[in-house]
Amino acid sequence: MLGTVAPLQANLSTVLVQIVILSSLYALVALGFTLIFGVGGVLNLAHGANITIGAFVAFVVSSQMGYGGFVGLAAAFVLTGLLSGAYYLGLIKRIQDEPIMVMIITLVTAVAVEEVIRFVYGSQPKVLTLLSGRVNIGGSTVTFTQLVAFALSALLIVGMFAFVNYTRQGKALLATSMSHKGAALVGIEANRINLLVWVGAGALAGAAGVFLGSIQGASWAMGRAPLVLSFSIVVLGGIGSIRGSVLGAFVVGTLEILTVQYVDSSLTGLTPLLVLVAVLLLRPEGLFGRELVEA
Amino acid sequence: MDWSIPGMIAMAGTADEAAADETEASSADATTTTGDGILTVEDCAVSYGKVTALRGIDLTVGEGEFVAVIGPNGAGKSTLCNTVSGFRDYTGSVQYHGTEVGGQSPRDLVQRGLVHCTESRDLFGYMSVEDNLTLGAYRANTNTKERLRFVYDLFPALEDRTSQLARTMSGGEQQMLAIGRALMGDPDLLVLDEPTLGLAPVILDDISEGIEQIREEGVTILLAEQNVTFALRHADRIVLLENGEVVRRGSPEELREDDYIRESYLGG
Repeated sequence: MLGTVAPLQANLSTVLVQIVILSSLYALVALGFTLIFGVGGVLNLAHGANITIGAFVAFVVSSQMGYGGFVGLAAAFVLTGLLSGAYYLGLIKRIQDEPIMVMIITLVTAVAVEEVIRFVYGSQPKVLTLLSGRVNIGGSTVTFTQLVAFALSALLIVGMFAFVNYTRQGKALLATSMSHKGAALVGIEANRINLLVWVGAGALAGAAGVFLGSIQGASWAMGRAPLVLSFSIVVLGGIGSIRGSVLGAFVVGTLEILTVQYVDSSLTGLTPLLVLVAVLLLRPEGLFGRELVEA
Repeated sequence: MDWSIPGMIAMAGTADEAAADETEASSADATTTTGDGILTVEDCAVSYGKVTALRGIDLTVGEGEFVAVIGPNGAGKSTLCNTVSGFRDYTGSVQYHGTEVGGQSPRDLVQRGLVHCTESRDLFGYMSVEDNLTLGAYRANTNTKERLRFVYDLFPALEDRTSQLARTMSGGEQQMLAIGRALMGDPDLLVLDEPTLGLAPVILDDISEGIEQIREEGVTILLAEQNVTFALRHADRIVLLENGEVVRRGSPEELREDDYIRESYLGG
C-alpha cells in the first residue's frame, strides 16, 4: 500500500527480507496509534500528519539546511514528539472525554497539515536521503536506506517494549491503559501518562515518516495510507495491544508483499482493507483482545 | 417514632425524622474522636446532577481510629468514600490532616497517605499480583520490598500467586490484592469501601483477620460496609447512613442496643 518496496523477484530470501523491512516500518507506524487509543481511549486521526511532518522536518534539516540524513532523522524524532505533546496539552486534553469531538478535531488537523505542506512545498514528492548505496543480503539487494530504516525501527520497537515492561513509568502507562480509576488510586496521573504517550507516539510517527520518505519520497499526502494501515493493523492485533500491533504489522506486511509478488501489485492497497473487514467479521476483538495494552 | 418497618422503602420517608432524632438515639458526641482528627467532614453535601447523594454529613476520624459507615445499598457510603479521597466534588468541608480535600488531586492525597480501596477494586487485570502491589507503592516514600513483605505476611495467599494475572484470581483473592495494593501506599488513612461484598464466609474470615492486623499496625481506617455484623465486630465507632444522611452514630455496643439497628440490620 505504501509503495515502499522495490519490485521483487520470485526469490524466497528476497521476499522474506522485504517482508521484515516493510513489516517493521508498519509496526513503527501502528505503535503510536495503538498506544494513544489504548491509554487515552482517543482515536487520533492526526497520526498520519505526524508522519508527514516528520518527513518534511527531515527534508528541511537534511536537504535544505544541509545537516545530513541522520541529523534530519533526529530533528524529526524530537520535533514531532514535542509538537504532538504540545497538541495534546493545547487541544486534546480539553476534549479527551468527548470522542466524537476528538475525531473531528484530529481529522481537521490532519487535513490542515496536508494543505499547509502542499502550499509551502508543492505537490511534487521531495527526495529524502538517509544513506546511499546497496547491500546484498541472502541473494537479495537491499538499499542502505531500507536497512537503516529496518534496524532503527526494530530498535525503537524493542526500546518501547523495554520501556513499558521494565520501567516504573512504563508500568504506570500499562496500568493506566487497564484502569484509569485504578491508576488514580495509586497516585498515577492519567494526564501525565497521556502526555508521555502523545510525545512518544509523535516521535515514533516522525521517525516512521523519515524512513518512509527516504524510501518513497516525502509528499504532502504521505500520511494517509499509514493511517489506514494503522487501523487495519491495530484492529487485527487488538486495539491497544503493543504485542498485537507488532504481530498485526507483520501479518499485513506479509500479505502485501505476497500480493505484490504473486498476485498483482495494483491490488496492494486492497490488502489491509480486506484484513480489516475479515477481522471485524471473524474476530472483532483482534488477536490479543481489545482496550488494553499488554506488552 | 415507629421504627418497626425495616428497609429502604420505609426509610425514604423517615430519614429526615430519623436524622432529627439522631442526637437522642446516641449518647456519643457527633464528632467524638479518640485522638487528633485525621479526617474532618463538616456539613458535606454531594449531588449527582439534581439528585442529592449526601447532605449535612458531619464526621471525624481520629488518629489510629477505626470508623465504620454502615447503611443499605444507595445510602451514599461509596459516594462518601469517593468524596473523602478526592474523586467527587462537594459542598461544605472535607479536611484531611487539616487541609481541604477539594482542590487536591487524588495523586496528592495518595502521596500524603490517604489511600482508597474501592468497592469495584479497580485492579490492573492484565498485570501480575506483584506488579499490582508494586504499583501500589508508586507514590509512597517507603521501602517497596519491606511493604511487600508486610502484605505477603498479611495475606499469604498472595505470595503463592505473585506472577498470576489479577483478572484470573477469585473474588476473595482479588479483594486481598486490592487491600494489599492499598497498603503498599503506606497509608495514614485507609478508606475501605465494601471489602466483604460478595465474598464467601471462609474468605471473609481471612479478610477480617487481615483488617484486624492492619489496625494493630496503627493504620487509621474508614470502612464503608453493608455487612453490619462485620462492621460492629471491628469498628471503634459506627455511623449509619440512610438516604444520604447520618441517622445514627455511636459505639458498636450502643448500636447493638438500638432497637432500630437490631430490627433493621441485625435481624431482630
